[in-house]
Amino acid sequence: MADWIPNILTLMTLSPLLGIFFLMLIDARDHKRLRLMAMVTSLATFALAIVAAVDFSRAADAADRWDAFHLKSTTAWLGDSVGGVVDIAYRVGVDGISLSLVLLTAFLMPLVVWGSFSSIRERVREYFILLLLLEVGMLGVFCALDLFLFYVCFEFTLVPLYFIIGIWGGPQRRKAANKFFIYTLTGSVLMFAAILFLAHHAYVTNGIGVFTLDILKLTAMGQQYLIPYNVQWWLFLAFAAGFAIKVPFFPVHTWLPLAHTEAPTAGSVILAGVLLKLGTYGFLRLSLPILPDASVRFAPMMATLAVIGIIYGALCAWVQTDVKKLVAYSSVSHLGFCMLGMFSMKMAGATGSVLYMLNHGLSTGALFLVIGMVYERYHTREMSRIGGLAKPMPWMAFFLVFFTLSSIGLPGLNGFIGEFLVLLGTAASGTVSDNLSAGRLGFGYAAAAALGIIFGAVYMLLMCRRVLFGPVVEPPGTPDASQGLPPDLNLRERFILAPLAIVCVVLGVWPKPLIETIQPAIMANVFQVKQDLQYAGETDAVAPEVIFAVDAIEAADDNDGERSS
Amino acid sequence: MNTSTYLSLLSPECCLLAGACLVWLVGVSRSAGIRASMAGLTLAVVAVAMFLAWRCPSPEAAAVMPGIRMTSLSEFVRWATLIVGALLLLANWRVPADREQGEYFGMMLCSMAGVSLTACSNDLIVLFFALELVSVPTYVMVALSRTHVRASESAVKYFFLGALAAAIMAYGFSFLYGVSGSTVLEGGAGQSLAKYFAGDASWGPFALIGLVLAFSGLAFKVAAAPFHAYAADVYEGAASPLTAFLGFIPKLAGFTALIKLMAVCGWPAADGVSAPLMWMLWVVAALTMTVGNVLALLQHNVKRMLAYSSIAHSGYMLVGILVGPMWGTGPMRDGVAAVLFYIVVYGVMNLGAFAVLSNLSIKGEPAETLDDLAGLSRRAPLSAFAMAVCAFSLMGFPPTAGFIGKVYLFSGAFAAGETSLIVLAVIGVLNSAIGAAYYLKIASACYVREPVAEQSRTGGLTQSFVLAVCSLAMFCLFLRPNDLVRQARSATESVRTAGQASIARVDRGAVGIQPIAPSDDQEHAG
Repeated sequence: MADWIPNILTLMTLSPLLGIFFLMLIDARDHKRLRLMAMVTSLATFALAIVAAVDFSRAADAADRWDAFHLKSTTAWLGDSVGGVVDIAYRVGVDGISLSLVLLTAFLMPLVVWGSFSSIRERVREYFILLLLLEVGMLGVFCALDLFLFYVCFEFTLVPLYFIIGIWGGPQRRKAANKFFIYTLTGSVLMFAAILFLAHHAYVTNGIGVFTLDILKLTAMGQQYLIPYNVQWWLFLAFAAGFAIKVPFFPVHTWLPLAHTEAPTAGSVILAGVLLKLGTYGFLRLSLPILPDASVRFAPMMATLAVIGIIYGALCAWVQTDVKKLVAYSSVSHLGFCMLGMFSMKMAGATGSVLYMLNHGLSTGALFLVIGMVYERYHTREMSRIGGLAKPMPWMAFFLVFFTLSSIGLPGLNGFIGEFLVLLGTAASGTVSDNLSAGRLGFGYAAAAALGIIFGAVYMLLMCRRVLFGPVVEPPGTPDASQGLPPDLNLRERFILAPLAIVCVVLGVWPKPLIETIQPAIMANVFQVKQDLQYAGETDAVAPEVIFAVDAIEAADDNDGERSS
Repeated sequence: MNTSTYLSLLSPECCLLAGACLVWLVGVSRSAGIRASMAGLTLAVVAVAMFLAWRCPSPEAAAVMPGIRMTSLSEFVRWATLIVGALLLLANWRVPADREQGEYFGMMLCSMAGVSLTACSNDLIVLFFALELVSVPTYVMVALSRTHVRASESAVKYFFLGALAAAIMAYGFSFLYGVSGSTVLEGGAGQSLAKYFAGDASWGPFALIGLVLAFSGLAFKVAAAPFHAYAADVYEGAASPLTAFLGFIPKLAGFTALIKLMAVCGWPAADGVSAPLMWMLWVVAALTMTVGNVLALLQHNVKRMLAYSSIAHSGYMLVGILVGPMWGTGPMRDGVAAVLFYIVVYGVMNLGAFAVLSNLSIKGEPAETLDDLAGLSRRAPLSAFAMAVCAFSLMGFPPTAGFIGKVYLFSGAFAAGETSLIVLAVIGVLNSAIGAAYYLKIASACYVREPVAEQSRTGGLTQSFVLAVCSLAMFCLFLRPNDLVRQARSATESVRTAGQASIARVDRGAVGIQPIAPSDDQEHAG
């Protein structure tokens, strides 16, 4: 099958490296050109991501399979050859879920780079290099079809963000960066052990017999009951250790508020927008399909923790006085919805969960941007020290209210759809629908989570009131115009926030194309073979055949135009 | 076996020793210019040794000779010594005072020859001498490396403890000789340790005492707990480039000897009989990683920190020794190959870290503490980058070779399929997380912290070259580890047969004793 650009995913993932190379050539004091170069690079990557998306849809149309992985490419890495006895390879490919997250990442990055123009004034070159390296890592995670590559990129994202927080962060930046790094690493080394065990298990499993970390093969293995339950039990816990900390899940979320508060604006946006999704994406892409029995078994526990996280996060956010910390705790609460949705084991819930990931990335990312813009002018985020800003900053007030509404799930904006589907899936979890057997959650979970939505509206609107309305409160000596910033948002800042707002509206009003891209992928690649599946409803046309053998899956996917090198 | 074959097989080692004598002789020249150019001469000797190693007959063509048995393992160790040794030499280029260059570099050549001979030896006596040939020169080098009083102090400490360890090891060897009646490790027509241990009458208390004592001596060489205590003091006292040498050369010798002994007495995981030995190693491995990492957390001095980290890395490698070489249960189950891969990677990344330290000085004093490194990225961005790369590699973090090394080590433990080894691997990965905390301090000192002290560059061209090679190697071995892994795999072929022999013995049960080693020789002769 002819593609426009061969290896488009690799090209896209590695394109920031080229930008880094050019950044190295530019004089470190020439801030203007450094910024321009970083901006051009991130835009180019975004363009390549769009090309990849178009390419994906062409490939999916041509093969008439929207549920499969496309744009695949493979190169041997560890082990002598692809398909050898040791087969750990560089494998990339995307399906509907990962493609949408790739687009989110590539879309946020230019905005973040642009947003850093005024706030980052020292060590500019290092800053943009780290930011672009971070992009490589994040795109790598979403494109990876080999668990090894996945883990490498998953871990690698820690390094640039560690330095971004540690160098350009707030007063407690070193503590925050260290805590973030070591906390996350501790979880993921356990996952690392589980990954190695899984590869060995694939080797001793009949029908695979290869020491492989090919996600598709592992998924097939898991879906065919080839991993004993007691093994799944341990593996699930080990994977959960890695992903739950990243999410961050309720008892292990404590690194997040500190990291968010201390990080520079760009760090917070990327952290909330994309990095937290690495955890939920990991659960969705790896834990659920590879360890289906353990996932079902652990679902009530995970859902209980998710609900506790939703309510606890909301209550914590309620009492914060620091705006950024408030939004950070709201992330804990929101990511609880993501987890709840996917562990409902229902199409609606999982779809809602993916939508929630995207929406949270957009609206919370945007909120952090707005807060960053306020901070640049007032040098404080304490709600007691600022107030009534709607008067001096009408544009800012508009965007803050807009993204607040998006974040609390106002119908018509993006947040609503995800929230609704998550609750729907959770409440209906006990029923048999879409040919998926009953999950183990129920109405109680949904009701408790709905309480979180109410709390969410309370603390977000309270925050808006205290910051925007009432008498004008400004710390002495502010707004700070020393960096040439006008009292209200300037044109650049408005242009950063406008695309986010537009996307929020579009996704809120017309989410159908997105849902139609995500749903087949969830059916085929998350809940997949375990259920003898036939698609229900409108996506009936793309129902795949029931697949039982590993080879059959491989063969089917190969037909979609795998390009091995 | 005539003398000329003997010499041609050992020509690289002979070259190193002859080169050492040459360097010593020329090094006392009256002309200051000649005395100061001994480093160049030493490099030339290493280059000649490399050439000879390249021309040397391959181990398959070599038969067992008195005291010597050339295997693929000896070839791997020889090349590892020569290549990493050349880098170590470059890093040490300016360490000794001009008038002491001859002594210093001569000693260095001796030490390298000793490592190579360790891998060739097939006799307890040759093994003992080879190991002492590694160690004794290092005592001298520590004393020569700096004029500081701490260098003399650490040399004395190192010497006395090293001598004690050597005595313990020799005592253990004497027990092994006593129970088996032979000092030959394996092969040959007569009695050998391998035949003894393959027999059923083995594993009496004296054999066990002998092995435990021998392992204790080797544990000192690799700085494994509870014989690790000297490492921090000695590393701190020696000049930084020499510390990199101490972290690699004795460790390589120790692990090579350990592999050879284990191949003779049976790999623990394959052999139920050696269960006590296995548990001893298990505890030592777990203790070594944990002690090394936890104590490193408490250090402020980077050299001491890296000394403890070197202990921790020995612990990781002991996991590979416990797993043993490949047989049967999986392609990744080759703990010994993983150890060989890891030790080369460790040697290079450790060298990189110490080379950065030796490149800097604070008011004329060599950089040692975290404060000395603070804000390095402002003053020397490339050095800071190399330091960060090496720190992340030591941490076992992608995208560096240290990560790949850990993948091979720990996946071997999982492939072995035994709960005890899986637990050990989990202890290992958790230790990597502990390790991250202090390696991160190094990286963060370079990039995150503000400069505390006035740093100045002292390193020459050779040091910068070493830095560049080390940090590039970390990325290259990450992207393409296969070639080195393949070499390490083929190096373990010779020790693998011994493992299969002990499996065969377990299968045979208590029935008759089959001498296995001779067929083994034919395989190598043919």
